[in-house]
Amino acid sequence: MQQALEAFIERVVFGAEIQVDDRAAVDELLRSLQLSEIECQALRLQLPRAVVYRQLVQSTLREAIELALPRLVQRMGGIFDEYLQKFLREAGPRTHYLRDVTAEFLDFSEPLWEADRRVPRWARDLARHEALRIEVAACRHSSFPEVPEELKLAAMVRFTESSRLMHYQYAVHELSAELSDRTEPEARPTDLLVYRSADHDVRYLELSPLAASILGNLLGHQHPLGHALSLAYAEHGVEFNEQHMQSTALLLADLAERGALLGPMPEPSQ
Amino acid sequence: MRAPTSLPAAEQPRLPAGVGLGLRWEFLEELLEAPPLPLAFLEVSPENYMRRGGFYPEALEQVGTRYPLVTHGLTLSLGSIEAPAPEFVNELRAEIRRVKSPWHSDHLSFSRTGQRMTHELFPVAFNRNSIHRISERLKRLTDELGVPMLIENITYYMAPGSPEMPEPEFLGELLEASGAGLLLDVNNVFVNAKNHGFDALDFLRRLPLERVAEIHVAGHESSKWDLLIDSHGAPVAPSVQELLAWVLERTGPLPVLLERDNNIPPLSELIREVEELQAVYEQALGRSSGSEVAFAASP
Repeated sequence: MQQALEAFIERVVFGAEIQVDDRAAVDELLRSLQLSEIECQALRLQLPRAVVYRQLVQSTLREAIELALPRLVQRMGGIFDEYLQKFLREAGPRTHYLRDVTAEFLDFSEPLWEADRRVPRWARDLARHEALRIEVAACRHSSFPEVPEELKLAAMVRFTESSRLMHYQYAVHELSAELSDRTEPEARPTDLLVYRSADHDVRYLELSPLAASILGNLLGHQHPLGHALSLAYAEHGVEFNEQHMQSTALLLADLAERGALLGPMPEPSQ
Repeated sequence: MRAPTSLPAAEQPRLPAGVGLGLRWEFLEELLEAPPLPLAFLEVSPENYMRRGGFYPEALEQVGTRYPLVTHGLTLSLGSIEAPAPEFVNELRAEIRRVKSPWHSDHLSFSRTGQRMTHELFPVAFNRNSIHRISERLKRLTDELGVPMLIENITYYMAPGSPEMPEPEFLGELLEASGAGLLLDVNNVFVNAKNHGFDALDFLRRLPLERVAEIHVAGHESSKWDLLIDSHGAPVAPSVQELLAWVLERTGPLPVLLERDNNIPPLSELIREVEELQAVYEQALGRSSGSEVAFAASP
């Protein structure tokens, strides 16, 4: 019976909407549960009330996503709800944590948005940018070294777990926080470092292309500092000299002061 | 109820009797800044603090130095066919230890359908298969989590198929088979009684009240579906206060929790409601024929 109940609820809550007076649809649903006639009859009688759950569940999930993506939801309007329905029907939330439903929704929807001309090109950037606010705020703590250590060219660099390097095609971080605003973001490749400060605020730092390459090599590819710099300098045609090294040192010192950079990665044996 | 295996009853973990409040982020900062408030304890949903860092877990640690904390979960999905994932149970155990909760409670319901998590509570079928499945799961979870388990009777809007037995007997048999304690939500009893047309007092009379370890109260609201909805979005109704008093008169002192999740008023207003419930509580105990019920299950 429990298996049938779970299937029944899954169909009613997440499947295509069932009209309780659509006898054929209801019969088909009940047949699929392979229950006794008595149990089928009991569930048939409860269907009008089971439908209440559809609204309760969908409203909880929609609110959770809207809390994370308020401007995207407003700007996409009905198209957002269309994708929410598709997500619920075809994938649905898997996580125990309501705060993570947004990421599941985006993982499902983003590939589909690529092919949908109704979805603005900047939607993916805005979605990821908005979602970061909760993701970074909730990221696990990183333990800060008791005594700050100097960075070494031969060692990799350790950032807080909340640090994220974001590459956008649109300057969505410049959009107004107003929900009613409909200004289109400027089409301008943008690199942002997003991190959580020591006082738990989510902070955004716009990076130059060179700084973004350096941090990309450190954060993403986990190269030792010296190698990360060589690669980034070569990519941007910058000479590996004292002046540039000094600018880079200032950048890294600034990130350490902001609480995004923790120091050199400990040796594996340590 | 299972006999204690490691501690004498007097040393069993317990919460202070009296009225506590469900901790919500809407007033967390205010609570931290306020002088000590007349709250017997605070209840937290561990899923809101697990697998995360940042402000809220840090604030919870501070709150825990001022008030006793107890965990009340939302997503164990005790009634599902599939058992909760071991990683989730491990994380939950860590959180329960972190807040030093004397027990852990969750709902007598299922939230997962196959792989999907609904984030809603659905009723299980009131039959012996459910009792066997859930009681075995509760015993295992008690061991895995390292604290006694309580199960809460839920509000349900649809009846879960054709029952083998009435709900109070189902609850009684499940508690007996599992050794778990009962978190009795009297608002849920009231709402179900109205929605399904039974007598709330008769329901309560048939419950094994000696197994109640904690009580929940909350507000409910009417809805467009011609059903009362357990919204936790309004003050506790006088009829629910009466049921609370009726139970306390029979059980004696217990932790009682006010839950508020929607339309959350300023903290001062919630504290006024806690004080009002505390008055109901004390009047009921003044008339009480019951003695303190020690929830003495142990992991």
